[in-house]
Amino acid sequence: MPLTAESAAQQIQDRLKDIQQHIHKVDNERRRAESSIASLVRAQQNQTANSKLKTLLQSKILEATQEEATIRAALAKIHEIRNIRNERRIQARNAGNKEAIRRGALMKMVQLSAQTLPLFVGKPGERAPALCGAIPAESSYVAKVGDNVAALAKGSDEEENWILAEVVQFLHRQNKYDVIDIDEEQKDRHVLSKRKVIPLPLMRANPETDGHALFPKDTVVMALYPQTTCFYKAIVHRLPQMATEEYEVLFEDSSYLNGYAEPLPVAQRYVIAYKPTKKGAGSGSGNLSSA
Amino acid sequence: MSGGPAITLKSQPIDGSNSNSGNAAAQQQQQQQQSGNGSAAAAASASSSSSQQSSAAGSSVPPAQEGTRQNSLQRIQQRKQKVFNLPEAQKFAKLSMYSACQAEGCRCTGWKTPQENRHRDVESSYCPELSEECRNASCRHPLRSHIAHMAQISRTSMDELLGAIIDMENLFMSMQRVEDDDTKKVYLYLFRLLRQCVLTRTQAVIRGPLGDPPFESPCITKAVLSLVFYKYHHLSSTELQTMTEVAKTFLNFLNHYNFESPSARRGDLTLTHEDASTYKINYTRWLVFCHVPAFCNSLRQFETSLVFGRTLLRTVFQYMSQQLKKKCISERDRFPEDKRSIITQMPKFLEALRSELLKDDSPIWDPNYRPPNSFVMQQRKRHQELPPTSTITSASSTSTSAASSGKRSSVGEPLQKRIKKEMPERSISTENQDDLPADVVTRAMKAVAESKTTNKSEILFPVNVSRDENVKAEEQKRAIEFHVVGNAVTKPVGKQTILWLLGLQLVFAHQLPEMPREYISQLVFDTKHKTLALIKENQPIGGICFRPFPTQGFTEIVFCAVTMAEQVKGYGTHLMNHLKDYSIQRGIKHLLTFADCDAIGYFKKQGFSKDIKLARPVYAGYIKEYDSATLMHCELHPSIVNTQFIAVIRHQSEILKELIAQRHNDVQKVRPGLTCFKEGVPSIPVESIPGLREIGWKPQMRPVRASRPLEESSDPEKLVTSFASVLQSVRQHTTAWPFLRPVPANEVPDYYDHIKFPMDLKTMGERLKKGYYQTRRLFMADMARIFSNCRFYNSPDTEYYRCANSLERYFQTKMRELGLWDK
Repeated sequence: MPLTAESAAQQIQDRLKDIQQHIHKVDNERRRAESSIASLVRAQQNQTANSKLKTLLQSKILEATQEEATIRAALAKIHEIRNIRNERRIQARNAGNKEAIRRGALMKMVQLSAQTLPLFVGKPGERAPALCGAIPAESSYVAKVGDNVAALAKGSDEEENWILAEVVQFLHRQNKYDVIDIDEEQKDRHVLSKRKVIPLPLMRANPETDGHALFPKDTVVMALYPQTTCFYKAIVHRLPQMATEEYEVLFEDSSYLNGYAEPLPVAQRYVIAYKPTKKGAGSGSGNLSSA
Repeated sequence: MSGGPAITLKSQPIDGSNSNSGNAAAQQQQQQQQSGNGSAAAAASASSSSSQQSSAAGSSVPPAQEGTRQNSLQRIQQRKQKVFNLPEAQKFAKLSMYSACQAEGCRCTGWKTPQENRHRDVESSYCPELSEECRNASCRHPLRSHIAHMAQISRTSMDELLGAIIDMENLFMSMQRVEDDDTKKVYLYLFRLLRQCVLTRTQAVIRGPLGDPPFESPCITKAVLSLVFYKYHHLSSTELQTMTEVAKTFLNFLNHYNFESPSARRGDLTLTHEDASTYKINYTRWLVFCHVPAFCNSLRQFETSLVFGRTLLRTVFQYMSQQLKKKCISERDRFPEDKRSIITQMPKFLEALRSELLKDDSPIWDPNYRPPNSFVMQQRKRHQELPPTSTITSASSTSTSAASSGKRSSVGEPLQKRIKKEMPERSISTENQDDLPADVVTRAMKAVAESKTTNKSEILFPVNVSRDENVKAEEQKRAIEFHVVGNAVTKPVGKQTILWLLGLQLVFAHQLPEMPREYISQLVFDTKHKTLALIKENQPIGGICFRPFPTQGFTEIVFCAVTMAEQVKGYGTHLMNHLKDYSIQRGIKHLLTFADCDAIGYFKKQGFSKDIKLARPVYAGYIKEYDSATLMHCELHPSIVNTQFIAVIRHQSEILKELIAQRHNDVQKVRPGLTCFKEGVPSIPVESIPGLREIGWKPQMRPVRASRPLEESSDPEKLVTSFASVLQSVRQHTTAWPFLRPVPANEVPDYYDHIKFPMDLKTMGERLKKGYYQTRRLFMADMARIFSNCRFYNSPDTEYYRCANSLERYFQTKMRELGLWDK
């Protein structure tokens, strides 16, 4: 079904309305929950009979579950908006609508899509799934059309680099990906074997609840160098402490005396497990001379 | 000199009422004013006002402590009113004194009181009989015959005439009192003019070599309001309001300012001979059109600030602003609490005005400069909203003539009221001649603003904001800051500065690996170099190291870099815009840099070009030259605020699109289309296309050649000087070397076989000296010959060929600058 700009805008508008309702609902429920908790505390202090306390608790749990469901519904709507936007973007591209986007705006978009990556909020006891934070994808996993990946592609100078790319399609028969360079100035399509493509996380891990889904300090990783579309070898210097924070990593850079650049912030989405290639992932500053 | 009127007047009984006490009052007043102002300038006004007072001395108005001007006006008015209220017979008697005898053959120009009544005043009790004879020996006709032609005169025109007579008498008194010769002459001239007008019963119009007002464009009022916008538009609306009031107070002061007579300024050594003569002309204009009419309302009055421009203000500004400042201090306490800010802001305002006055390229004096419509309308609206009393209070701040403006209009002179209203409106309408009406533009602006809030495309994709918008937002939030820092040896340098310089040195060293680190350190810490630093979280993340050459009028950009992780965010653009604004504020109009191949793209985006429009001697030997780098140049326009430029242009283009869309809606109509071409008609005149005229298309709205002030018909001497300057610049250009002299035949033997009409810059210089270039065409033809010869003889891949192309472009630029080019 073709998704025109108008219908996409309309669909998004509808969902925004839904979200607004959800937010109001969440607000009401939160207020109710607060008073419930207050009454619960009172009941405990008054040493109410256990059976009565139990029923009270059960009703409160029910309420809390409802609140959680509403919040999740709202998040689902946000996710839908992301998908509609993505869908529309892919269609526009396939229709040959190559809107020239300035580099600065492109970088902003790269940043924004990392900041708005959905946050994984698990049920109690639930472990972070694959492609959440540092958890890698299963070996059989195939990235979906439109998903972002790190791709080891040859540039015009025949040199291989891990670039930020988007999946155009997966060629099942050849077990290869067809990807497009995210940097529109390059406009390069690459057909790459599956092992040269690493899917990027689809969700952020919350450091406060899912710390295990983050790379530990001093891990050697590949990270997107800020304001570029290339991944380079780096060392985790500092982990995010909050869901909204980013990693701080040390990129390899021979122009610094100790071989590493000063710590730079990189979003969870753009920090992936290091995968050695024949000549190593990028060579840091060598390609990063002045602009 | 006929002498008639003056003698006649001397014998007028008006002198009789000018008693000793009146004189004493006048003198006393004069002294007061002189001591109060402590200036020679006041003398002129004092003399004129005192004379008016003396002429009205018959009334019992006590001498005021201050507000002489106001008092004079009041007295004149009272006297006029008194005359207007006289019985008709007395009015006629008064008129007869300035009316020509109607008896045939009689040349008497005014009835003279008989000897026995010489000391009686028709303005008080004396009422001569219609039959009384004129004292003039050659006349001897009765009073009746002096007014015979006025039998049918209406009451209003009679009063008008009487008003003019009183003005004339006052002028005469002033003339006798004033000491300055120039001023005296002017009074005499005006006196005669009025005398003639009364005699012929016509409206007084001043004609002659002085020219007609307005004398300069833009006028002071317009420029001052432009200044308010130019300097203070970024302030909050209350602050802006204050500055507007400050400006109005200044204008009010100017309009009531008593200019020094040219002789009083003779001692002023800062005035050149030329300035002095210009001042004399302007002083005379001021007397005739502004000052005297304020007291003599039968003359048309113009506001000083509306008819004069920069030239006058320049000559008087220094002294005037001193007086205004003094006044501000002395009158501070008498000012209402809520208006005090006007006084505190005045010095700042005066300083800003002064610097704009001195700058040759200040935009506020540019006739084309116009604050945006919204601003103008707001100001106008505010002005209308202001209750009259508040205008007066602001006026009282500076001029003792507190209520004068109110007074004058309340007295009710239809003529002046009309003029006052007309003036600003007329000037506005001429400005907008071929512009869209303001309300159309406002509507479009509103529509643009609205569409921004309802725009849906944003829902799909984030807006593609302009390159520097995010940066400007960060700057606003103070997330980033821009500072110009530099090392010094003569004064202590702060620790912060040194830390930033160190940081900058690191940024440059990392981003410019080709540059030796020592070299970078040397320049960043050199005291003649400065660095514009971009600071984020107290760390320099980018900067431009530059060296200004104020004597040469350019700034050299030495290093320019933004740290890797912060690139492509628009910082580079914003840095450069800040440097541009910084340079413009310091009067520097050119930026030069040697760009390496990676940087050329960046500099091109920032408006730099490889086409160097500066003559080589200006920068050679000053700028550091680098191998394998390209010299690039950017010329700065003093009235562009570069940090606002992108936003302004964007906004303008949005408004323009909206205007086009609106126009499109208005005229939407599908026409059948033209068939004439199918029928074989090769071409038709544009205006015959149906519908074109209806949408407002006009064939050649402006005269095409308006931009060519130096056409053939113009002053040949001027033309020659222009050619000489162009030729000089062309000779000095870096690519001029192949064309400086005729091609030597011994070195290029076959040259003259191919080239039949050789030409070179030396020959052109000789021709110019001989006066050969009588027209622009001749000059251009010879120059074109040089280039075409070169391109004919040499192949395109030669250095010569490139030189010809480059020099031709330069030549065209130079010609265009002087308005000597067609396109």
